[in-house]
Amino acid sequence: MSPSGLLLDQTLAVSQRLLLEQWRQRRGLIFWVVFPAAMMLLFGLVYAHNANMRAGLDAAAAGILMGAALFFSCLGGTVSIIAAERERRTLRRLLASPLHPAAYFLGVVLAQMALAAAQVLMLYSIAWFIGARYHGSLLLGGLILLLSVFVYVGMGFFLGAHFARRSEEVVVALSAIGVPLLVLGGTFFPLEIMPAAMQTAAQLNPMLHMNQAFKGVAAYNFGIAELRFELTFLFVFCAISLALGLKSYRYLLLADQKI
Amino acid sequence: MTAALRIDGLYKRFGERQVLNGFSLQVERGEVVGLLGPNGCGKSTVLNIICQLLQADAGQVQLMGQPIMEKSTHVRARIGYCAQESGLYPDLFPQENIQFFARLYGVPAAQRSARVAEVMERFSLVPYMATRTGLLSGGWQQRLSLAVALVHRPELLVLDEPTVAVDVQARMDLWRLIEGLRDSGTTILLTSHHLAEAQRLCNRVALMRDGKVAVEGSVPELISRVPGQAVAKIQSEDKQAVIQRASDLGWPVRQHAGKISLFLPHHLSLREVVDALDGAKASAVSVDPVTLEDAYLELVGDSTGVPKIL
Repeated sequence: MSPSGLLLDQTLAVSQRLLLEQWRQRRGLIFWVVFPAAMMLLFGLVYAHNANMRAGLDAAAAGILMGAALFFSCLGGTVSIIAAERERRTLRRLLASPLHPAAYFLGVVLAQMALAAAQVLMLYSIAWFIGARYHGSLLLGGLILLLSVFVYVGMGFFLGAHFARRSEEVVVALSAIGVPLLVLGGTFFPLEIMPAAMQTAAQLNPMLHMNQAFKGVAAYNFGIAELRFELTFLFVFCAISLALGLKSYRYLLLADQKI
Repeated sequence: MTAALRIDGLYKRFGERQVLNGFSLQVERGEVVGLLGPNGCGKSTVLNIICQLLQADAGQVQLMGQPIMEKSTHVRARIGYCAQESGLYPDLFPQENIQFFARLYGVPAAQRSARVAEVMERFSLVPYMATRTGLLSGGWQQRLSLAVALVHRPELLVLDEPTVAVDVQARMDLWRLIEGLRDSGTTILLTSHHLAEAQRLCNRVALMRDGKVAVEGSVPELISRVPGQAVAKIQSEDKQAVIQRASDLGWPVRQHAGKISLFLPHHLSLREVVDALDGAKASAVSVDPVTLEDAYLELVGDSTGVPKIL
């Protein structure tokens, strides 16, 4: 088998295995469905109750997808995958195998993308019923989602490798590091009401650019020209994420030696 | 013909502790070599270096004549690794675990199903095809782990205490499987705490002390270095009397963990030993042929590393 063929097959093997495991652990899968669905319904009720806020419902749907659904499934899910590999001692077996670090990373990205696609369909179906609409290009929206999943997985690798040795520590890592990033990403407050220093710091937070880019295309029908700043950031963060993912995989090897 | 595995002068330090201190070993093709030694003597460190899970501070490892110190996925694809924890995915069925690792190791798609079926058959896993791996007993999981390690037909199989976490029956079953691999010419390097396991499975054993091989040889060779044909193990209230009497008879005496071992020049019955001790009161006596355990204690020492020769 050629090196690129092996890399592709390893990527698909990792991705299929993760999806199969996810399918068999139905509880986790139900959580990925129930949580964003409940969020969308709650937001929908609030917006429906306040006529002057209805215009914001389209942006809210985009925000819930990025800040709630994908944050927990793609970032939280990746941290859980790393912690589980450690706990089940499968990590040693992976590290002793010829699995390429990039194949492992891309396998996780691919599996998370499949889950993300299901979440998008489910969330936007609910959103449509409560009156929210998607206005922009599906292709551009898909590209932003793809970049966002990539970035979330890279961050998940970093958090998982450095802060989640056991599954109990997944929630701690997510709460202590992930949630502040959500706040700084403009998920709960608009960027404009934050102090100037926070606004500057927020520019380095990939979640801000994911939120703004997807809200832009979904709620305001922005095109590539209007979103070039956010897209550039997301592409740069993708490259950083890949580097972070590969470095974290190698770090796992070092960390495993201390166990 | 070049050796399957050749290790020259490995050094590895963890903090202040020098774990490997010039470790060298050679494993010939088709040979089963056991690496034995007390906890923390560096057995697993050697295996981790071979499998590229760890980097040595100095020294060289050659697999089939090619150096493997540099990080290389190609080298890892030539080794099968099975540790004491099975390291399998509990939600997958056995054949799915094997299939997954077959893909990681680059088994061609056209051969994959046949290889999976072959190892499932060989390790009697077919009846468990509908049982999730996490629901298998420890012994069956370890059997599956061995199947996973072999699906890509490695040139060297590395087993890190493969039977340590299983019950007696499962251990016997795994021994039979490893014997089968040995008889079919698989090159195996294994570590074990069970000296009986090494005695049964290995063509050759290397006994480790102070981060290097202290003694190596075939099991009969090592046993022949013990000064006796049989060993009598004695418990007594009056140890001095037993030791004195044995010395008078010219029987070498050793003391380990409060028990006295007398090396007999030829096999004697229990009655003959008791009669020979003549008045030295023994509360419990057993007489057995010399085993690898006796050789280990004689040549390497007990857990403190020091043989207590009287």
